[in-house]
Amino acid sequence: MDGLLRIRDLHVGFRIFEGLLHVLNGVELDVREGERVGLVGETGCGKTTTVKSVLRVLPIPPARILGGEIQYAGNDVLKMSRRQMTLLRRHELTAIFQDPLQSLNPVFTIGTQLRDIVKDSAIGQGKRLSRQETEARCIQALQETGMPDPERIMTNYPAQLSGGMRQRICIAEALSTNAKLLLADEPTTNLDVTIQDQILRKLDELVEEKGASVVMITHSMGVVRDLTQRANIMYAGSIVETGKTHTLLEAPMHPYTKGLMASVPKLTGEGVSDGIPGRIPNYLDPPSGCRFHPRCEHRMEICTSAPPPLYSVGNEQRVACYLYREET
Amino acid sequence: MSDHPILSIDGLIKQFPTKAGIVKAVDEISFDVATGDTLGLVGESGSGKTTTAQCILGIYPPTAGTISFDGTPVGVMFNRRNKELKRRIRIVFQDPGSSLNPKRTIKQILSVPLRVHKMGSSRERLSMMNQLLEMVGLPPQEYLYKHPQGIGGGEKQMVAIARALATNPRFVVLDEPTSALDVSVQGKIINLLKRLAEELDLTYLFITHDLSLMRNVATRVAIMYLGKLCEIAPTAEFFRAPQHPYTKMLLSSIPVVTSEEEALKPEKIISQGEIPSPVNIPTGCSFHLRCPERMPICSQIDPQMQVLGNGHVVRCHLFAEIPKATHG
Repeated sequence: MDGLLRIRDLHVGFRIFEGLLHVLNGVELDVREGERVGLVGETGCGKTTTVKSVLRVLPIPPARILGGEIQYAGNDVLKMSRRQMTLLRRHELTAIFQDPLQSLNPVFTIGTQLRDIVKDSAIGQGKRLSRQETEARCIQALQETGMPDPERIMTNYPAQLSGGMRQRICIAEALSTNAKLLLADEPTTNLDVTIQDQILRKLDELVEEKGASVVMITHSMGVVRDLTQRANIMYAGSIVETGKTHTLLEAPMHPYTKGLMASVPKLTGEGVSDGIPGRIPNYLDPPSGCRFHPRCEHRMEICTSAPPPLYSVGNEQRVACYLYREET
Repeated sequence: MSDHPILSIDGLIKQFPTKAGIVKAVDEISFDVATGDTLGLVGESGSGKTTTAQCILGIYPPTAGTISFDGTPVGVMFNRRNKELKRRIRIVFQDPGSSLNPKRTIKQILSVPLRVHKMGSSRERLSMMNQLLEMVGLPPQEYLYKHPQGIGGGEKQMVAIARALATNPRFVVLDEPTSALDVSVQGKIINLLKRLAEELDLTYLFITHDLSLMRNVATRVAIMYLGKLCEIAPTAEFFRAPQHPYTKMLLSSIPVVTSEEEALKPEKIISQGEIPSPVNIPTGCSFHLRCPERMPICSQIDPQMQVLGNGHVVRCHLFAEIPKATHG
């Protein structure tokens, strides 16, 4: 089926003194138009590297695309020229990162930064905005995120605002461009739960209104459940399980997903499991075959020889595990 | 719950003078921790959880109020406490990456508390260290001569726990011991802490912002907001019938992973507003600006703690007229 974003067999590595860190190991990801997709995984599993590869903002070197393809609306992102890429980033793709202090420039006011974005995106649509129009659009963008007193905020510097407010500004900036695909990289990880709830609800509303597609990157299963239609579970540089969010979380199939779900503390208070033994592999010398096999309790001989493909298990759910081999 | 409290805090106040004014980090809180209990202290960032812990440890002297440990008042600076007391109260910090000296081996790290408290001869100390590592589930011969950067985050936290337990404490403050860790590792640490509490007859003050985690660990839960306690109750009672509007807002904001949990959450309360700055705390009840059930009295008079029965204590005007409420 035709998707907005299509990643196939993406391999990305980082060249460091000790050798090559083979981080992304055949990532497959599909985002359809208007769809909200979650990308979940633990620290260091390659979520952010995936996003940065799509945006082509990985520093090359040390990073290196080892293979695979990223297609955005039918065009190969990896083969685009710098100019095309700039235009794509300006008008089609947009991103929100975890730490708003790093995305906002500390020496310019919010107004200056927001006006630039609004003006640029209007130029992209072939319009030149007057000063009043720019101002009005900026204020509207801030209001949409539920920001009180936008006129005053425009004259403030990032340091004068709280973490929740800064993240709202990043959302306002990201959504003021009418982009088609929003890459949200842990947008609420640094925030308190009540503020997280506000921001996510606002994001949800705005995305719905503008009809954008979203890739929501997070390590919180709860956030994925609340916000996305399809979830992708990532482990050590590859997608291990993908499916409709609710079915996947109710009935996880991959041993890693199962372990992860059992380790999440729940409100039912039945205690937490001991988690998954071991830790994420060293990317300098990753395990052969399925990268999860050293930590897996269902390990079989075949697991060490070749990485498992994504086996379809029905209900749009696919699992990269040899346990489900017969069912195809 | 046992009858006599190991730690009792009465009217604790801690203020920090700053250029912008006096920050009331902890504003008159009182609570008891019974022997063998695990009190979960929950609150958003800036609510004064860590300051409370640091006053108990003696890192800061309290501005006013008393802290009694085992019946004797201890509310003074660390350097004026006797060694015996320092041996009895210990702390585990949030980020083991920064609380363990990267240049020391685990053996050196563990030997510091033993030497400071003059426990055993050097040979005896070595066997004590072996025992400590075994107790937290790390094989000593493998770990004793490693440096912190050579082991994983979960293992580092286990070393930090071993260090805290080196002096046979009775009371351990756990300041967000798992929030820097991944979920798959968190479970192991939590179960370790639970096992140790039973084996060594420890009492914990468990500080966290994660309510789902509290459901599985604490025996009692206390909620803090802007330096004040809002609600204290035994865990099961707390989650069965949360009373304070802030608690309900917190609980309904948690992203959960299963539909069973969804059913346990209180009715959705839309989270609104920002956490006010602790320099400029609103008059009356500090929560009234964000409270969905605000009454005229809330902006004028600060409510008092009300006992509702079943060990449930709430500080809110909604319960002021009915000192012994109907439920329970």
